[in-house]
Amino acid sequence: MARKTKFGNQKFQLMDFILIVILTVWGLAIFLPFLNVIAVSFTSYKEYLETPLLLFPKRIDLQSYQELFKTGRIWTGYKTTLLYVAFGVPLALFLCCSTAYALCRRGYPGRKLIFTLILITMIFNGGIVPLYLVVKSLNLNNVAGVILVGGMNTFYMILMYNYFSSLPESLMESARLDGAGEWTILFRIVLPLSMPIIATVILFASVDRWNEWFNSMIFLRGNDWQPLQLVLRSIVIDSQVAADMSAQVTIEEKAFSNGIKMAAVMVTMLPIMCVFPFLQKHFAKGVMIGAIKS
Amino acid sequence: MEARIRQPNPSPSKLRTLGKNIVKNKSIYVLLIPGLVWYFIFAYMPMGGLSLAFKTYKANLGIWGSPWCGLENFTYVFRDPAFWASIKRTLIINLGRLIFQFPAPILIALMLNEVRVGRSKKVLQSIYTFPHFLSWVIVASIMTNLLSYDGLVNNIIGSMGGDTVNFLGNPKIFQPMLYISEIWKSSGYSAIIYMAAISGIDMDQYEAAEIDGASRMQRIRHITIPSILPTITVMFILMTGNLMSAGFDQIFNLNNAALKEVSDTLDMYIYRITFQSSADFSFSTAVSLFRSIINAILLFLADRGSKFMGGSGLFG
Repeated sequence: MARKTKFGNQKFQLMDFILIVILTVWGLAIFLPFLNVIAVSFTSYKEYLETPLLLFPKRIDLQSYQELFKTGRIWTGYKTTLLYVAFGVPLALFLCCSTAYALCRRGYPGRKLIFTLILITMIFNGGIVPLYLVVKSLNLNNVAGVILVGGMNTFYMILMYNYFSSLPESLMESARLDGAGEWTILFRIVLPLSMPIIATVILFASVDRWNEWFNSMIFLRGNDWQPLQLVLRSIVIDSQVAADMSAQVTIEEKAFSNGIKMAAVMVTMLPIMCVFPFLQKHFAKGVMIGAIKS
Repeated sequence: MEARIRQPNPSPSKLRTLGKNIVKNKSIYVLLIPGLVWYFIFAYMPMGGLSLAFKTYKANLGIWGSPWCGLENFTYVFRDPAFWASIKRTLIINLGRLIFQFPAPILIALMLNEVRVGRSKKVLQSIYTFPHFLSWVIVASIMTNLLSYDGLVNNIIGSMGGDTVNFLGNPKIFQPMLYISEIWKSSGYSAIIYMAAISGIDMDQYEAAEIDGASRMQRIRHITIPSILPTITVMFILMTGNLMSAGFDQIFNLNNAALKEVSDTLDMYIYRITFQSSADFSFSTAVSLFRSIINAILLFLADRGSKFMGGSGLFG
């Protein structure tokens, strides 16, 4: 008997070791690329050339950032993206809350039909071409248009609907008996009780707005109001293609631009890094959204 | 006689109660207005705009005024070899995703569950989930930095005496690159759902198995995996629901001139014919409609399938 447990323990330890090695290697495979990006953005060109395995710069050099912020593009990017977050998130919250609450109430004509019509949009949609034409015909091919198109999010709405439905009906019923209107009930009773789900939606919607680039690319063609993601795209991905194609780019310019590119990645990524600790608390609720959305 | 004919219609009193009901609940309808206006403009108008698939688009007449042309656009679409090639490519890539990408989060969840060092487990999990929240623009930029000729990976290969590898412009390894980068970005986050399923398993089962002398592998095989099998099945079905789309953001941002031949999936094809060459909106709407219908059928089946397997379906 004693030998058996001993044998078992030994096996456990070996397997524990293998597991830790695999998981750590995978962790490093995710972490090191970020470390490399940070290092490249803070390194002088000289050190970049001298160190092939650049993970910790010997000396912090801010020149890439200075160069990056000298061009006006990154500021335009920040301006547009901040507009997306500042207006897009409250809009999403307003649309999701009002619709979810109205769908929670029962016993009014047309509720089922409206619910069905909303659920249909999750399965069937027009796709990007008709959406683009509709948006263009309404003269909404601008920043306001991008904000409006991303306004409602059915997944978040359903998330709120489920939460509202779980609140005790008696609370709202007694408020109604006291003569409170639906708006009062929503703002005074339901929303204060729903702070956890509101926080979740605010965080996820903020990340969505921050990462928004596709609608902007389609709707803001030939427009100066490019959001940060598209500025980054044109700095890194498009210039990569240009650099590969034109042979006269000297190696020095190319390597130096690498620092600026990674500085651009850093300034685009930093806000996400900052909210990430808060996001982690909401994974359990958010994970279903991610699973379905992708 | 007259009364009998009228019978299918609601009686006046019924209409009156309906009217009363509407008036009584008018504040609820007011609450619904903003959302419904949004759905009308940004969901149902584009859906109606799909009628363009049966029209010849004239810019001055717009979507609604353009003349009908029957199925003409579809005959052009179905005659375009690039269309069929893009569908084939999409299916092959998604098949690869099901084979290579799908098991990755399950493996991560199983491994994280077995590892017994509390604190570092949390750190690891944070690292794994972080890339999910970055856009593909950022991830593609990071990959460009990491995998270019003078990037970290090629420097490591070079220092070990290997030849420089062209990771980003090689059509032959484009598909593996898609799977690996998607696993890198999102498998940690997708693992959460399996971790949640695992944490719901009754601990007594493990204790009983341990007393019976079951090894760790046996416990994984006979307790953990069977317990999370419903979750796995539901996730699998949901993923097949996206067989015709999935991954535009990724492919678009990892795409470059050298990969033109292998990256033209259905979504990329629609984007290309709509926004890059001289646009024929009727033609691309016809492709869009085709894609929307197939997608809707697949999603509908996926929803039914996942409900059938005891999952929550698409609508929570």
